[in-house]
Amino acid sequence: MRRRLRFDIWTFVLIAAWVILIALLIWPLSSVLRASLIDNDTGAFSLVHYVQIATIKAYQRAVGNTLLAGFGGMTGALLLGVTLAFVTTRFHIYGRALIQTLAVVALVSPPFIGAYAWIVLFGASGVVRKGLSSVGISIPPLYGAVGVILVFAFKFFPHVFLITSGALASINRSVEEAAESLGVSPMKRLFTITFPLILPAISASALLTFVLSIADFGTPRIIGRDFNVLATEAFNLYGSEVGGNPGMASALSIVLIVLSMIIVFGQRWILRKNVYHSNLIKKPERQHARGFKAVGLHALAYAIVIVGALPAIIVVLFSFRRTSGPVFQPGISLRSYERVVSTVSEPIWNTLIFSSVAVAAIVITGTLIGYLISRRPGIATGTLDALLMVPYVVPGIVMGIAFITRFNEPPLALTGTGLIIIMAVFVRRLPYSARSVAAALKQVGPNLEDAAVSLGYSPGKAFLKVTVPLILPGIMAGALMSFVTAMNELSSSLVLYVGSTITMPVRIYLSVMDGEYGTASALSTILLTMTVIAVYAAFHLSGRKESALL
Amino acid sequence: MADLKIQGLAKSYKDVRVLESIDLHIASGEFFTLLGPSGCGKTTLLRTIAGFQHQDRGEIIVAGERIDHKPAHKRDIGMVFQDYAVFPHLSVADNVAFGLKARALPKAEIAERVAESLKMVRLDGYQDRLPAEMSGGQQQRIGLARAMAIRPTLLLMDEPLSNLDAKLRIELREDIRDIQRRLGITTIYVTHDQEEALAVSDRICVMNKGNVEQIGTPYEIYRKPMRRFAASFVGTMNFLPGQLEGGRLLVGSQVIDYPAQASGPVEVAIRPENVELAAASSRGGVISLKGEVLKVTFLGREAHYTLKTEAGEIVAQVADPAQDFIEMEGRPVEVRLPLQKIVLFRPSGDVLDAERAR
Repeated sequence: MRRRLRFDIWTFVLIAAWVILIALLIWPLSSVLRASLIDNDTGAFSLVHYVQIATIKAYQRAVGNTLLAGFGGMTGALLLGVTLAFVTTRFHIYGRALIQTLAVVALVSPPFIGAYAWIVLFGASGVVRKGLSSVGISIPPLYGAVGVILVFAFKFFPHVFLITSGALASINRSVEEAAESLGVSPMKRLFTITFPLILPAISASALLTFVLSIADFGTPRIIGRDFNVLATEAFNLYGSEVGGNPGMASALSIVLIVLSMIIVFGQRWILRKNVYHSNLIKKPERQHARGFKAVGLHALAYAIVIVGALPAIIVVLFSFRRTSGPVFQPGISLRSYERVVSTVSEPIWNTLIFSSVAVAAIVITGTLIGYLISRRPGIATGTLDALLMVPYVVPGIVMGIAFITRFNEPPLALTGTGLIIIMAVFVRRLPYSARSVAAALKQVGPNLEDAAVSLGYSPGKAFLKVTVPLILPGIMAGALMSFVTAMNELSSSLVLYVGSTITMPVRIYLSVMDGEYGTASALSTILLTMTVIAVYAAFHLSGRKESALL
Repeated sequence: MADLKIQGLAKSYKDVRVLESIDLHIASGEFFTLLGPSGCGKTTLLRTIAGFQHQDRGEIIVAGERIDHKPAHKRDIGMVFQDYAVFPHLSVADNVAFGLKARALPKAEIAERVAESLKMVRLDGYQDRLPAEMSGGQQQRIGLARAMAIRPTLLLMDEPLSNLDAKLRIELREDIRDIQRRLGITTIYVTHDQEEALAVSDRICVMNKGNVEQIGTPYEIYRKPMRRFAASFVGTMNFLPGQLEGGRLLVGSQVIDYPAQASGPVEVAIRPENVELAAASSRGGVISLKGEVLKVTFLGREAHYTLKTEAGEIVAQVADPAQDFIEMEGRPVEVRLPLQKIVLFRPSGDVLDAERAR
């Protein structure tokens, strides 16, 4: 029997996808792995960096703190998110749309804005702290581990909320009624029936919040003080002018990636057989709670989302305050905006241009790869799909370090160009786009394309004429969400930027570090506004609201 | 008008042989059905003819021309899908015009053919609707009109009715048959529903495990099964163990003369409607077995009797049963199998004597 190799447009796409991922993912990351295994002084192979991580106290603490931040952020986000999801799907809450909007605001505002706003409120000279101390209540300033974990919890709970409310809303009510008729108390039912059924959603959101928490750089940097985590250590060791230690920075990066991967495989292991399918017959109903219970439930739900959205609100309010240097003055003014426009408008343009170019590339590549994954299964596409998992577990800092190491010398001397920032964002966000296209394609039966082919269209034309129009809303919504994340990308850009390629998140971060809170607030507000517009457009296009965010 | 010849077509997925050297000749204008259980290779065969899958060996020849090297979109073969595959973003008229636009026909002709095709499937007046506003039956009519509008050389239908409810299924299958007769288009129809196959086909090809079991007219398939598989898959068939010895057939404790040269174990097959109960008179020889009525299922115009006989359990069907026939559970009864109606199968699954099978 002879095997026929048939070349069509998709063969070409498959090869191109592999080339892109090897060039922008495997090759740069291999440099990090290599650097971590080489002694800085002798240039010989050595495990010295890993030995140091295991023996030197500061590094041990960084590993411990990273785990603490990861599990702390994850636990906090799960508690808040699952509670909110349960309350809003099982009880009648007034203003559910408002709750969802506030959750989305919390979700799309960059995490370091949150950290900075919390400092404004609860920092050493925080507004709330000062206000409370003037009436005789003294609370400690919100720095260190507690601050980091709180910020993570309130920043990442919307992910949990959106993922689990979808799952909670699709449990067949008859199953819960059956448990009730068998004499199981409501509380016991929650833990023996409801939660096991939504375990896939809970564990998926736990994984996501853990990985986001340990990869986050801005929050521990701004609010952590001496709470060092792997991401900040790696950045310091890589970035410092004196005493830089690229080998150590690389080894810390590898440890960070390994931690993420352990959690990813852990989640798969938990889910290895705990996936249940039930045909939905009766949708769960929302109960009308009465009296104190109703008041309590409303207070709980609104408290969670308002605290979550508070940083964004604070930033907007403070951007209109009069400032003198780092100090906020009483009164309203547009001075901060004037200063942004007159002195630091470059980051705005850079951000818009870089994000637009990256998103255009992401959409085209992501759509083609997503199509390959869902429609052309095989070994080459299967490994491609697995490889696309890598960017999920590689923190932005690490990606930045990898890029700057690999693209530093001719003919690929890209450091200091806008292109390298664009490439980093591109490869970090490509998997999201590819995955969402693959998911959208599952809704479009493959027979539609076969039908077009049988009517006389070539496979390429059939894809363009039939499939693309059908998945276009999904592609556009995904593109806008990629645009949002691209605009808010801090960690990789922070490693890769130079003066002329500075972006808004980097500028905001630097302003916060320099204590220019007015500029930071104004820039953050502009970034937030652009983000909200993009999110609104994505919602509008996708029709189903929350799904656009996941 | 075109005939279709398939020669030595074979296909494997990894180690599984889905099609084992298929040979078929379908006459021009014929309504030809591929019938078999899921996984028998019928859909793979259809999709290979359409060009969506590729054979490892063999030839596909339409009207004397080999088409198996052509890509699917150049084969000029109309296809109707199980899940309709109607383009949800296009109106009914645009769906039907879709294939015509690929052929760059003049606008006026496209409009004319769209109108004609929609009229044919009784959807005139629905041009501007979107498919989502229409029922499953209507959507499949769009699929049919769309495939016919390009005036294909062959029409392939992949279980087109299996997603519809029983009543619509019968209505639409009559329409499909009428349209096919009127236009005389060579049609290959895939189904796992034996009743549907019997109702619409000129000829049926019963397939199992990638092999052709039997090809014949619906009457031949039902009344003269050549293979045990075809006999058991199409309609209901009782099988009783028997033994041939020197021109005599042994069933249970009964021995009856049976003019056959062969000897050895056989299976005696008979349709439920041919099993006679008690006093019914029949001409010619019968195998008469002692039995007991285990269960009676009353279905209105007929009743099914599950009978325990000395040779094994069988089902008998009685048309228009009388009252006292229904209250027979637990009673002994004489079960008679007319020799003219029985078919014998060898342990290999082949029919024993083609001449006697009727």
